[in-house]
Amino acid sequence: MKKFAVAMASLSAAALAGALMTSATAQTIKIGVNEPLTGAFAASGNYVTDGAKIAADEINAKGGVLGKKLELVIEDNKSNPTEAASVAEKLMVRDKVPVMMGAWGSSLTLAVMPKLMEYKVPMLVETSSSGKITTSGNPYIFRISPPSAVEAAAFGKIIDKLHIKKADFLVINNDWGLGTAQDFGKMFKDHGITVGLVETMDQSAQDMSAQLAKFKASDADTLIVTSAVEQLTLVFKQAAALGLKKQIITTGGSQNPDQLIDQAGGAVNGTMHLTFFAPWAPEAAADPQATKNFLAEWKKRGLQFAGVTESFRGYDAIKTIAAAIQKAGKADPEAIRAALWETELTGLNGKIKFTKAGPAGKESGQSIPTVYLIKIENGKVVIPQG
Amino acid sequence: MKRAPALFWLLAIATVPLWLRDQYYLHVLITTAIFIIAAMSLNLLLGYTGQLSLGHVAFFGIGAYASALTTLGFDIELPGGFRVEHAPWPAVAGFGIAVAAAGLSGYAIGKLSFKVRGAYFVIVTISFAEVTRLVALNWVELTQGPLALNNIPPYTLWIPGVGDYEFWDKRAYYYLVAGVGVVTYVVIKRLVGSRIGRAMIALKENEPLAGSVGIDVTRYLVLAAVVSAAMAGAAGSLYAHYVKIIDPDIFLFIYTVTMVIMVITGGKGTLAGPVVGGVIFGFLPVVLRSFAAPAVQWIIYGALMIVIVFVLPEGIVPAVERWSRSWRSPRPAEATILASSKARDE
Amino acid sequence: MDELLQHLVNALILGSTYALLGIGLTLIFGIMRVVNFTHGELYALGAYAVFLLEASLGVNFFLALAIAVIVGCAVGAAIELVLLRPLQGADIDTTMLVMIGAWIVMQNAELLYWGGASKAIMTPFPEQPLQIGPIFVSWLRIFVLVVGLALIGATYLLINRSKLGKAMRATFQDRDTAALMGVNIKGIYTATFAIGSGLAAAAGALLGPVFLVTPTMGDLASLKAFAIVILGGLGNITGATLGGFILAFVEEIGAGYVSSGYRDGMGFLIIIVVLLLRPTGLFARAERIG
Repeated sequence: MKKFAVAMASLSAAALAGALMTSATAQTIKIGVNEPLTGAFAASGNYVTDGAKIAADEINAKGGVLGKKLELVIEDNKSNPTEAASVAEKLMVRDKVPVMMGAWGSSLTLAVMPKLMEYKVPMLVETSSSGKITTSGNPYIFRISPPSAVEAAAFGKIIDKLHIKKADFLVINNDWGLGTAQDFGKMFKDHGITVGLVETMDQSAQDMSAQLAKFKASDADTLIVTSAVEQLTLVFKQAAALGLKKQIITTGGSQNPDQLIDQAGGAVNGTMHLTFFAPWAPEAAADPQATKNFLAEWKKRGLQFAGVTESFRGYDAIKTIAAAIQKAGKADPEAIRAALWETELTGLNGKIKFTKAGPAGKESGQSIPTVYLIKIENGKVVIPQG
Repeated sequence: MKRAPALFWLLAIATVPLWLRDQYYLHVLITTAIFIIAAMSLNLLLGYTGQLSLGHVAFFGIGAYASALTTLGFDIELPGGFRVEHAPWPAVAGFGIAVAAAGLSGYAIGKLSFKVRGAYFVIVTISFAEVTRLVALNWVELTQGPLALNNIPPYTLWIPGVGDYEFWDKRAYYYLVAGVGVVTYVVIKRLVGSRIGRAMIALKENEPLAGSVGIDVTRYLVLAAVVSAAMAGAAGSLYAHYVKIIDPDIFLFIYTVTMVIMVITGGKGTLAGPVVGGVIFGFLPVVLRSFAAPAVQWIIYGALMIVIVFVLPEGIVPAVERWSRSWRSPRPAEATILASSKARDE
Repeated sequence: MDELLQHLVNALILGSTYALLGIGLTLIFGIMRVVNFTHGELYALGAYAVFLLEASLGVNFFLALAIAVIVGCAVGAAIELVLLRPLQGADIDTTMLVMIGAWIVMQNAELLYWGGASKAIMTPFPEQPLQIGPIFVSWLRIFVLVVGLALIGATYLLINRSKLGKAMRATFQDRDTAALMGVNIKGIYTATFAIGSGLAAAAGALLGPVFLVTPTMGDLASLKAFAIVILGGLGNITGATLGGFILAFVEEIGAGYVSSGYRDGMGFLIIIVVLLLRPTGLFARAERIG
């Protein structure tokens, strides 16, 4: 019992110290960060958070915003929608953040959205791709990642060059995957491409051999795969092991191609990927100097190069939020929300500027990002059309 | 004199929102209170009948989904072309449906799984929760699967003098949850003190003996399962209309673990145990969050579980009761449990 | 037809590792009556050990495999000595709670040390699969099958032919009588937990290179091991072996022809069906409910 009492006492002392620390740093502008740091999406969530930290440090090194330093209040949503909503509540009520960034996955972001309406705090969505996020009439949502319809439209411009006749889908069983299958399927039909099988995989599934065996037996020439890098690695390895010889194209922007090359080896040769950041050719980026600086800083911090295709989103999101706070002139939720509509900047991905989406009167903001189609050949990333 | 402590605690519960101004702590308190109700219901099975149900979150989740679906409405097509359409009902009806649905599944699972005991029972109940999670995840037409059921409306109650009142305010919701919690506590107290309760405790102590003196073992176990599941369903409904979003992760094993920890640290088979354990483990994550990295929070959480079992194997409440017997004399039922848990430790 | 054959081959390979997982857990369950929630973490530990040895220390893949199994046994023995031995005689929920605590600590320690990003284990096997008619099998998976079957065989010999195995069987049948006959029960418990853990680590070390190594990989493994044990009956090694293969076949065929979304749920559906029909498992010879 004594041990227990001591443990509890030290716990509460530490909690007190934590509380004191927060009050000591009240002279900062807080930005809430709601990301999956543990659980199924831990890897991606940590990369995005690392990107956000780089942006905040860069801004603070130049004197911060409105004469104050930015302070990221980072919370872990445990890859769980209910926890994401709870964490958002904590950030808005306890930390009183005037603006947030989050929450990586579509299901996580959708869970947070009613809370934004309740507390009237804007959130910058950096990764989620479900169409529902911007079309459900939530005026506190500003998104810099492309919804799957936008991604599909961008792909539509170059698709005729690939000469696809019939395509199957293998998608992660959530809003992101199912939305992709729907939007890409629609776009395919407009281009006269037949849609064959649509198979799903649970987000924790490791063995996709059964689905792949089905695709092997189908007469489609192309397989569209949507998931994060871990599952994609498994899909490529298992497809190669089954002798599946089809054109494979991945979507969604969470592929981390260098990690794929590193972990799936020869199995990824010849595959194509739709990404939103092309660090392999920084000179071709919208802002070459910023891109080079970001990559250098990433390397300096000893982080995995493969993570940059994920982390640039966190960087762009914090840059956008900082620009909006500057424009608003004060760290107030409503002022930041209004300012976000007028914010315009060049991020690592390209131009960021919000256009209206969703029902009139309560539109969400959507920025249309650049989409790149890259190909992996002989263990190297190549950008077919630059 | 005997009623004084009860009145004191009621007063303490009722006055919390008056001094607790911090909305965030109030939020933590509400979710903790909801989990305490679930833990109390688990205690009925785990503490009083001695059946270690590790699928308890299934009843909580079924209650949450039933309540949310009743309130939101649905339109599904069953195999064979049957179409089931349901227009949205008021959230209060959802609460009733949640209790009924969870109670019914408690009956079904009780009938099925009380055929086995011990480790088998543990695994069967885990599997049951896992199956419900997979159904929630894959029956997209009904549950929206991983997209989650969102924008669940709050309860609306007709209150004299106020009219229809929507439970948006945290303080109002706190009183609602506290009310359900007190009712649950009293129901369990009455049940345990009744003839049925004594039969249940007899089962835990010595099942073959209880059977030989004419106690219908399965019947009492199933009864306990139904009551326990219905209470967990009520907690699930409270949860759904509070957080206003329900996703299949509500069925995750870790939530059952949370409830089990609350019961065992507090003291299983004691009325106050789940409340004490619930307050500790409800606020622990909040305390940890302020100074530890996410993975470290979990490590401390897990380590603390082990330490508590080693230091206080019977739970906090029995230990405190033993130390301060003069505070109040233990009632016969609790005395038996104390004696038996001591016997087990030796 | 080709598709069906491919499914069957996939299931056979997966089944051998499932059997390893199941045998390890059923031994611990049957002999010690402990619901071992750390089983999946020992599976993950086996995979991480191979990764650490190979990628960081440059140890040969096959040697790394062998060391991983030994590490699994050692950690298992340590868990038994530190956490379970002091609790001997405690009821099933007490030990279970401790095992749940250990599971949470182990999994998050892995996350803390290795990070959330998945790790890949490289193997010396060629990437080109072996083609037999219309069937494709990777060399790595053939290796997994062979080693898996060898380990299952070795466990059989250990239990049925060795002196230790005899003592384990005696303890399983009647602990008190075995103790009276001079069996060192404490030693048997430690040995059982170490062997079970070693088998879990072996399964993880074998499947680590087939899949990826992540901190949460153990969760699904634990749940599947539970399903296999229920299917085969508590403490029944033959049951666990067959249960492992059955689970793999049902999953593979279910995912291929029914719905891939329910793939990992097949095991739990099996549990419920089995319990409706034969509560003591498919292969139980005698009533074993305590």
